[in-house]
Amino acid sequence: MPAADTRPHLPQHQKTLVTGVIGSDTHIVGNRILSMALEQAGYKVATLGALTPAADFIKAAVETAADAIMVSSLYGQGELDCRGFRELCIEAGLDDILLYVGGNLVVGKHPWPEIEKIFLDMGFDRAAAPGTRVETVLDWLARDFAAREQGLRRAAG
Amino acid sequence: MPESAAPETAAPPLSEAALAEDFFQAERKHNLARWPTGADVDFEAAVELHRALPRHKQLAWVMREADRERRCLTQPRGGFGTFEMHRDLMVTLDREGLADVVPTTTDSYTRNEQWQLAQRGIEESEKAGRSLLNGYPMVNYGVAKARELIASIDKPAIMLTGTSMPKLTGEISYAGGYTGYLGSAIAYTTSYTKELSIEQGIRNYQYLDRLVAQYQAQGIELHRRQPGFLTGTNIPPSIAIVTCVLDCLLAAAQGVRNYGLEMGETLHLVQDAAAVAACRELCQEYLARKGYRDVFTPVTLLHWMGAWPQDEAQCAAMVAYGGTLAAIAGANSVTTKSTHEAFGIPTPQANAEGLRITRTAVYMARNIRLDSMPEFQFERDLIKREARAILDKTLEMGDGDTAVGTVRAFAAGVLDIPWSPNRHVKSRVMPARDGDGCLRIVDPGLMPFPREVMEIHRDKLQRHARRTRQPFGHELAVASVYEMAEPIAKLLPDRPRG
Repeated sequence: MPAADTRPHLPQHQKTLVTGVIGSDTHIVGNRILSMALEQAGYKVATLGALTPAADFIKAAVETAADAIMVSSLYGQGELDCRGFRELCIEAGLDDILLYVGGNLVVGKHPWPEIEKIFLDMGFDRAAAPGTRVETVLDWLARDFAAREQGLRRAAG
Repeated sequence: MPESAAPETAAPPLSEAALAEDFFQAERKHNLARWPTGADVDFEAAVELHRALPRHKQLAWVMREADRERRCLTQPRGGFGTFEMHRDLMVTLDREGLADVVPTTTDSYTRNEQWQLAQRGIEESEKAGRSLLNGYPMVNYGVAKARELIASIDKPAIMLTGTSMPKLTGEISYAGGYTGYLGSAIAYTTSYTKELSIEQGIRNYQYLDRLVAQYQAQGIELHRRQPGFLTGTNIPPSIAIVTCVLDCLLAAAQGVRNYGLEMGETLHLVQDAAAVAACRELCQEYLARKGYRDVFTPVTLLHWMGAWPQDEAQCAAMVAYGGTLAAIAGANSVTTKSTHEAFGIPTPQANAEGLRITRTAVYMARNIRLDSMPEFQFERDLIKREARAILDKTLEMGDGDTAVGTVRAFAAGVLDIPWSPNRHVKSRVMPARDGDGCLRIVDPGLMPFPREVMEIHRDKLQRHARRTRQPFGHELAVASVYEMAEPIAKLLPDRPRG
């Protein structure tokens, strides 16, 4: 636990997030609710909506100098759509941008640790299982941004 | 995206009128040249194939029989990325699931006409030994393979295609012996696309409906079907029905005579039964107004189309109750889901199990009807008042032309769809579930519902908001998105609340 911050309160740098549903997927509802909640939590959110190619996420992240990209996929083909996503980020100079992915990420019911590993191996920092609630994602973001200030890649757990 | 030379015949101004023969044939030539498998579509051979199909493999006839016998058929959804996996699925659903209608869901690359990506998906699926595609790439596999799929089952087969671009998938599947095709201009353009205009969506489906009319002219009755479940997220019955009626009028104008209407279940028994009755009656009423008296319009209910709970026991209850609702509502068929729904696409076995659970419920509820119940009559009349207000305004805005009226009404927000991903839809209308479990409208956006009707909705939702200590507003709509997916211990606690 770090010592209490005794500096005078400074307005926090407002973090910018990019959200969207990747590939040929139209499932917009969860992504829209997430985007609304992120805005309410004080983030600046660039919402790309449904049917968003991987390249468009990265373009938007460059244009908005985003701190994180949040990729949604509900239709099972996320595994195909997300391959090479981190590499695209690196090509665009976003080597260390925080990457989250969430939804029903593969076709069929598989144990979550297997699915999570596929996406962490692709270079995502976190993968959210089906049914993950908005509050969990807000908590991850707060802790991961704090961890980054400490020079860590992401917070533990 | 595959491109070839544009057709030489310019598109006529948008209208509901049947496409002119020379324009349709020019379009057709262009369409079939967009991917190599299009060349294998041979209309005469297809007509012969359909003529040789036994009646019990013709969906148009099977739906008419179900209606005559007052039966509720079962049909699942499903598709895998390779031919062998998909054939095994169809056989399993037919034999182990006792499906009355066997589906082929296309993958999402095919839906978006990204056939090169679909090809990669086939190869990756073969390499991995599991499907990486969420459906069957019908266009890549082509007509001959479709015929093999039809030959491997003993039921009628329907295409489930979630697309506003049905032209090549429709040609190949009908030529391959499929006798049903789910999809429509208004429903899928507003629910499955982001950029496509309503006008273009209408034009695309006018092509498919015109094609079906060409088969009809040869004595082959094919089944077309409208996906009024829309975005699958708390769609109030009246909004579903408005799209059912308008899409049905568009199809009838092209010459379709066997047109199914689908609605997602609200999961409230009385509201669902009222919705089925209102849908059937309003479609026939508006068809008659346009002078169509020979269009058969069976109604299908779908198992819950919103978010599902993680608990398989809860899912099993929703599958069974969904069958019960459909049977009591008098639906001609029910489209089933499984206990795997929260995790995405089910295994063939889980899918077959969903069918048998549903079938058992349908059997037990087969002859129960609610027609004499005052609550049923109240809900049916309410739905009709809502739908008529929107339909009449839409047709008026098009000076009687359904296609023109639809485009104008969406631009004005008179027609609106909750939670739509499409830029041409306002998506300001917001539904929410009331304390009894009926879907109501919390915010009508710009839709011109009668004032007395909106007061009923507001009263019921305000009462629910007060009782559950929530603010009255869009929060109710958001909470309703997740309600059915909540753990049952939260929805119905096992100890007194006080």
